[in-house]
Amino acid sequence: MATLLEVEHLVKHFVAERSVFGRPTAFVKAVDGVSFQVEAGETLALVGESGCGKSTVSRLVLRLIEPDAGRIRFDGRDLLSLDAEQLRAFRRKAQIIFQDPYASLNPRMTVSQILSEPLALHDLVPPADRRARVEELLRLVGLEPRFARRYPHEFSGGQRQRIAIARALAVEPKLIICDEPVSALDVSIRSQILNLLRDLQDRLGLSYIFVSHDLAVVKHIADRVAVMNLGGIVETASTDALFASPRHPYSRALLSAIPVPKPQAKRGRMLLQGEMPSALNPPSGCRFHTRCPHAIEVCRTDVPHLHADPAGHATACHRASELPPGDTIVPSDGGFSPTLEKLVAAFSGGMEGPALSGVGTVGASPPAGI
Amino acid sequence: MTVNPLIEIEGLRVLFRGDDGRTTHAVDSVDLSVRNGATLGLVGESGCGKSVTSLAIMGLLSKQSSEVSGSIRFDGFDLLKTSDQTLRDLRGNRLAMIFQEPMTSLNPSFTIGDQIIETIVRHRGGSQRSARQRAIDLLRRVHIPSPEKRIDDYPHKLSGGMRQRVMIAMALACDPRLLIADEPTTALDVTLQAQILELMRELKAESGAAIILITHDLGVVAEVCDEVAVMYAGEIVERADVDDLFTAPQHPYTVGLIGSIPRLDRRTMHLATIEGMVPNMTNPPTGCRFAARCPFVSDACRKAPPPLVEVSPGHWSRCIKAPLERLVS
Repeated sequence: MATLLEVEHLVKHFVAERSVFGRPTAFVKAVDGVSFQVEAGETLALVGESGCGKSTVSRLVLRLIEPDAGRIRFDGRDLLSLDAEQLRAFRRKAQIIFQDPYASLNPRMTVSQILSEPLALHDLVPPADRRARVEELLRLVGLEPRFARRYPHEFSGGQRQRIAIARALAVEPKLIICDEPVSALDVSIRSQILNLLRDLQDRLGLSYIFVSHDLAVVKHIADRVAVMNLGGIVETASTDALFASPRHPYSRALLSAIPVPKPQAKRGRMLLQGEMPSALNPPSGCRFHTRCPHAIEVCRTDVPHLHADPAGHATACHRASELPPGDTIVPSDGGFSPTLEKLVAAFSGGMEGPALSGVGTVGASPPAGI
Repeated sequence: MTVNPLIEIEGLRVLFRGDDGRTTHAVDSVDLSVRNGATLGLVGESGCGKSVTSLAIMGLLSKQSSEVSGSIRFDGFDLLKTSDQTLRDLRGNRLAMIFQEPMTSLNPSFTIGDQIIETIVRHRGGSQRSARQRAIDLLRRVHIPSPEKRIDDYPHKLSGGMRQRVMIAMALACDPRLLIADEPTTALDVTLQAQILELMRELKAESGAAIILITHDLGVVAEVCDEVAVMYAGEIVERADVDDLFTAPQHPYTVGLIGSIPRLDRRTMHLATIEGMVPNMTNPPTGCRFAARCPFVSDACRKAPPPLVEVSPGHWSRCIKAPLERLVS
């Protein structure tokens, strides 16, 4: 697989306070030396608690905010040296979907206007053909073409998120950053959007950076996971390796806390004590040491670096090799009973066809409650 | 349905009258009961009526815009018929509630101590000093570090998880018999969620209070609840013991919900989805309200509203096809 995106030692400090003369006196170290890669056609998930810097990373990668230091290479080109025009051309290849589908669509524009704007901006499709392309995009995300004339308020949350996805797809990007795309949606709608994202990836060969705090969703959609704590990556591995046996104490706490839909699930829960330290004044040494049950003296003084094993599973922990094995950390939901398995299959059976081809139309009847 | 229940709701119905003359049937003939020391999970998606049910129990629905009928028996009272004065005596005392948004449910212009002490003095009387001591004990009980200092903090100085603990401390101030928690962990990170759920389990074991937990997260339900009621379009469509619900759900909607959760144990390419939309509640369908989205639907489903029937002891379903095992064998 070719590497699509390479991020090296990315740093972003926000000014939190200034002196009377405007000199910065305090910084929030939102992102502090983050490196990762995304291969073509792959999904990388960034996970961590609120305030760990995962959303900042996603915006830095698109240069929606400018980094203080570091390097970003996209498709072999250095992103940070692009001028305004080149940057616009780059934005054609990388798009973002935001968390809140109620805030990310302009209420004064029809769906057709929302979807044609990127086509016009990048001069992709001649004006005469734009209507056809809009209809094609709507079909691609499972909406009916006749919806093009409607306004965002006429749609439910799940449908709006489909429109946001269609807008991102309009410019035929290679990379889509999904910033908590399903967190604001109900469970049943969430599964529709997750299925759609996966179908689109298979069909169009997209790469995703999937930012989320919902670990079950991450397990479902991601190929690789990077766990972030206070502006740094503490562990990165393939999804299967991480969920089979997380190594960093922070990843373990995070993964052991996943609630699973199975009463009496077996789990070795690791409850974290205390609060997440402030990014304004992060702890010395390992930034997790204030909450870590395994912390020793060296953790308070020395910053641990990411060390990868031959399989590519990297951990930033001084004590990674001494910790007890982590294979019982992730709670097991034990699977369905055979009858329930059949019932669930029968439940989704009727819908299988359209879901697979991605052109299943949702909401054939007008949305309720409006 | 339950022996010697602490709270028993029968035929609860809530209508909202809109300005345009339309009536929304938010909650329709809901029967529920919770026994002492048990946790009931009330599950469903946005707009299914679960929060309205809880507000009706607390008597917090506006009398101008809503019509509430049925009966809610709690501790010898019918909450729908008692005076406002009695309700005020019960709320915050024997009947307490935790809301979803810890950011907006605390008053920003008073310290958290003031807000907890107010509750204690209102219901228990006594001196400010003894109430303050109790407030400190409560903050300690919900694991707030150095509560003697924290009690004088304003809400903005606390993080989301801490505020939710303060809300819980306040709800527990007068040892309630029934605690209603409306999505108490939805706004929190998974690590904090685990802490708060652990705390709720601890408190239930200590005080023997009953809890009604309202949530859309089936994982949370499986962790803390004894019994579950699934709501859809204002009705209870399934009610069962938590183990039965997750091993052998008896309503297609519950099957869809369980199938749509990403699983940790293995990789599925496609999650189950529930196609279509919730019906318009100003004009609910005559037959089964889930019929339009149900893959198992037949003509009989659309003709008459299905009754809630006991499929096996203690397991109730509002589906004429139940037991659903018949559909796949």
